Amino acid sequence: MIMAFDEAFDVLVIGGGHAGCEAASASARLGATTALLTLNLDLIGQMSCNPAIGGIAKGHLVREIDALGGIMGRVIDRTGIQFRLLNRSRGPAVQSPRAQADRALYRLEMRKTLENTPNLSLRQGMVVDLLTPNNKVRGVVMQDGRRIGAKAVVIAAGTFLNGLIHTGRRTYGAGRAGEPASLELAETLKRLGLPVGRLKTGTPPRLDGRTIDWDLFQSQQADERPVAFSFSTDKIEQPQIDCYIGYTTSRVHEAIRKNLHESPLYSGQIKGVGPRYCPSIEDKVVKFAEKDRHQLFLEPEGHDTNEVYLNGFSTSLPAGLQQELVRMIPGLESANIIRPGYAIEYDYVDPRELGPDLQVRRIAGLFHAGQINGTTGYEEAGCQGLLAGINAARLVQGHTRFALRREESYIGVLVDDLITQGVDEPYRIFTSRAEYRLAFRHDNADERLSKYGREVGLVGDGEWERFNKRRDRIAKIKSALRTTRIRQSDAAYLALAEKIGLNGVESITLEDLAKRAGVTSVIISQLLPAETRAGGSLEEIESALADNLYSGYIRSQENVIHRLHGHDTLPIPIGLDFRTVNGLSHEMAERLERAKPVTFGAARRIPGLTPAALVTLLVNVNVGV
Amino acid sequence: MDTIVAVSTPPGRSAIAVVRLSGAESLEILRALVRQEEFAPEPNRVVLKSLLINDDVLDQCLVTYFRAPHSFTGEDMVEISCHGSPVVLRQLIDLIQSYDARLAEPGEFTLRSCRNGKMNLSQAEAIRDLISAQTRAAAVQATRQLRGELAEALEPSKHELVRVIVVLESAIEFVEDDLPSVQLDEIRKTLQRLVVDLSRLADTYKAGHLLRDGIRVAIVGRPNVGKSSLFNKLLGFERAIVTDVAGTTRDSLTESISLQGIPVSLTDTAGFREAGDKIEAIGIERTRRAMADADLLVLVLDGSCSLQDEDQEILKAAGEQAFVVAINKTDLPQLANMNDHLNGAKVVHVSALTDEGIPELTAAILEPFGSLDSDSVGLLITDSRHHDLLARAKISLEGAARSMDQAAGEEIVLADLHNALRFLGAITGETTSEQILGEIFSTFCIGK
Ligand SMILES: Nc1nc2c(ncn2[C@@H]2O[C@H](COP(=O)(O)OP(=O)(O)OP(=O)(O)O)[C@@H](O)[C@H]2O)c(=O)[nH]1
Ligand SMILES: [Mg+2]
Repeated sequence: MIMAFDEAFDVLVIGGGHAGCEAASASARLGATTALLTLNLDLIGQMSCNPAIGGIAKGHLVREIDALGGIMGRVIDRTGIQFRLLNRSRGPAVQSPRAQADRALYRLEMRKTLENTPNLSLRQGMVVDLLTPNNKVRGVVMQDGRRIGAKAVVIAAGTFLNGLIHTGRRTYGAGRAGEPASLELAETLKRLGLPVGRLKTGTPPRLDGRTIDWDLFQSQQADERPVAFSFSTDKIEQPQIDCYIGYTTSRVHEAIRKNLHESPLYSGQIKGVGPRYCPSIEDKVVKFAEKDRHQLFLEPEGHDTNEVYLNGFSTSLPAGLQQELVRMIPGLESANIIRPGYAIEYDYVDPRELGPDLQVRRIAGLFHAGQINGTTGYEEAGCQGLLAGINAARLVQGHTRFALRREESYIGVLVDDLITQGVDEPYRIFTSRAEYRLAFRHDNADERLSKYGREVGLVGDGEWERFNKRRDRIAKIKSALRTTRIRQSDAAYLALAEKIGLNGVESITLEDLAKRAGVTSVIISQLLPAETRAGGSLEEIESALADNLYSGYIRSQENVIHRLHGHDTLPIPIGLDFRTVNGLSHEMAERLERAKPVTFGAARRIPGLTPAALVTLLVNVNVGV
Repeated sequence: MDTIVAVSTPPGRSAIAVVRLSGAESLEILRALVRQEEFAPEPNRVVLKSLLINDDVLDQCLVTYFRAPHSFTGEDMVEISCHGSPVVLRQLIDLIQSYDARLAEPGEFTLRSCRNGKMNLSQAEAIRDLISAQTRAAAVQATRQLRGELAEALEPSKHELVRVIVVLESAIEFVEDDLPSVQLDEIRKTLQRLVVDLSRLADTYKAGHLLRDGIRVAIVGRPNVGKSSLFNKLLGFERAIVTDVAGTTRDSLTESISLQGIPVSLTDTAGFREAGDKIEAIGIERTRRAMADADLLVLVLDGSCSLQDEDQEILKAAGEQAFVVAINKTDLPQLANMNDHLNGAKVVHVSALTDEGIPELTAAILEPFGSLDSDSVGLLITDSRHHDLLARAKISLEGAARSMDQAAGEEIVLADLHNALRFLGAITGETTSEQILGEIFSTFCIGK
């Protein structure tokens, strides 16, 4: 078939959200001519929901994106207005950076970043069709009739696919408040035979900050020592602001319960499944009826706006009712809603259609990233966009596909979960999803992943040198921790013994000392030889200490997992008819049929599958008949 | 699949032995054995046939043909019931092997049955146990495993463990949420309780494995004290030769019996003394070995004589092993002072002649193994793999408790708790992170 195109690129990225931006940037920087197709150029990098990036496990994802050479970390570092390291009092593996963004600044900074990327073109318009003769991507058709050729296409359309907004009983098609839904593209996906499902998410109302009685809320300050997301950021420059914490009351709950019939969630109007960890206020009030208050966060949206995000009050109740409810909250008695909250349903495609490179298995050159894969969250979207963008470029350039393993990164965990388990509610990353949580720290993302970013070609010379220097400094600190001993004859000994009790040991290495309760990184840093201390930051000392703290646990965990799950990597033949496997009960065969595992590791994680069924499968598939 | 053959009745002399063939060649081989090329037995019907070897009649046998898939293995099968002479059996098996069948590996019939969809693996394992169960109590345990009772029994512990994991995970993952503070003391208590529960279950393996594999009991003592007489008494028939000549028993002799439903393999040994000749020396060496292999020794003394040096010696040889002292010949005048030399060991007075004290001796033999005696006992761990997993789960829980005592972070405590859950999961089925998250969201109000 000969196709006439108005323009042609190597790679097209559909959607200018967090997945699309990473995908377009990565593809272009890898040398593929790339176009980002978006409905509205002014809304590139828009944060549709909460104006914040990071959080437990999500912050890890952003640092992993950064270590691989992605852009999200740099952009938030330049536009974040409240940096906080979460879980600072807990173990280093579960500490994670979070920053609230100036929503408008983030968007502008992202657009600027993309505009300054060589090989990358921006095009406004709506894609209505994919050209995929012989199951191979050739290009797209735009609503205005333009035909754009491409060898690979990344779909990162967020909630726009067949988006349907609900407020109260009113519904209307939209991709996001104020923007049209993408209906034809959603139809195209169905036409291509892809299994499409429905998910739901929601957002809270935004308030006019001038109408809030701030004194009735408890302020929450930014960290004094902000932890940046990007390994290339030296300093956070944005002035930092406070956020505010408040609570709902039982009066509010009462009123919500009385009006549940107005909620599309409870009337059965919404069919899509929402995320359990991001429940609407209606859900909270119904499911946890015994709680007499729910926490709320007031998050100012930026330096130059009065708009305030009412985090914790996600709702799809009618707009008028939302206004009434908000005014029942102490401190918001005279608050005005300037944008009502809403729920949105959208299409997603079963991610089990994808390979580990996020390419749709049955259509060469088609990649999916972000909410289309059933995920939620900017960070989850961003890392998929990065992976899809890298692989789209590599496909065009004839390179092998690039994938990350679940043993080395949260990104690997996320992708593996998606493509092997599928989703039945919007998927969010959690640290508990990772078997090797202790090994995945936000501060060692570079140690884990920069080498891949370098190999792929996204980590430039400057960053690579920076990484190597940092690694050398940490190695020096580690060796100093091993060799430096505090002896009874040292002046520091007595003070230490008083503080933490040394039981009269003759001498102790800093490495062992650090494992004792009450010994902080600051104490250790003061005991290090002066030249070592001068050669590394406190953060680097903390990284070295964390490596030491966990190494034994990580090893023993590896042993356990190896012993129990040694068969995980064995493949299960694709297309195996589980009902023909001898000895598998009907129920077990059905579970396997539904999950379609391609490895024993994936089969093992199918809920309800018994060890006996797994062994039966193992005997049959590997012993063969 | 190739055709396999095995004697499916226990080894040793018995009235009837069953030889089984499974595989495509089964019928052909049967035809060769009966020298009738056209032989077309009706499936599932028992027929009497003469098996021939070199034109001699080897044996008159009952043969049954089962046509695939309606057989135990799902393949063509032949069962031959012949007379249980080891010589006949040996010849028959050799002959069958010469006709293109091979000796089955242990459990291979069951595995084939499993592979042909006749049963699932856990059923197969339990059936293996059931078949090999020598006593009623062991059979009861195998049946319980067959019903999945172990997984069921572990469910409450697993649930408690998941609850602890949920609390600690929530503390890590949802710092921004308004969660109740973690009650460390409660968690400590729960972990202690779990350790106790799992230990208790793991400890039943000692009994469970005895139930499955039997208790090995060796009867030892110096010559002529009445070992063989007691052996015969416990057996219920005159198996060992009894004479008044010291050194009658020259070689160890083992028989399986059931004592109150418990399988016991009972060994009579050569009397313990300075060896008189080469044969006796070998016999006594075998006695030493039987002693070392035994789970329990029955140390026989002669109550009508005073304690001899040889008695003392054997008491010493028993060393740390579990033993019961049987003071025999109570029907004769007794020397009163014997107990003084036995350091509070368990002693029963018996007479192999009058049967006096034999029930007490039986009870004393079983006592160290707890009350295994009936189907009223709870679930027992009989599989070494299950025992290993439970023991490891317990060790992981202890590790978690230790980390808590050292004020380690939640993520470190959780590393051990997740390991424990993995070990339990290898028995009961995996608990996925998705299930744990589900538990979190239904317990706590999470999310902004
Ligand atoms: N009066 C009496 N005689 C017994 C009793 N038990 C065994 N005897 C006799 O003691 C003699 C030895 O019995 P065995 O059973 O052969 O003794 P043993 O310990 O097996 O001897 P060795 O095989 O030679 O080591 C025989 O004459 C038995 O009849 C008993 O309870 N009372
Ligand atoms: Mg004897």
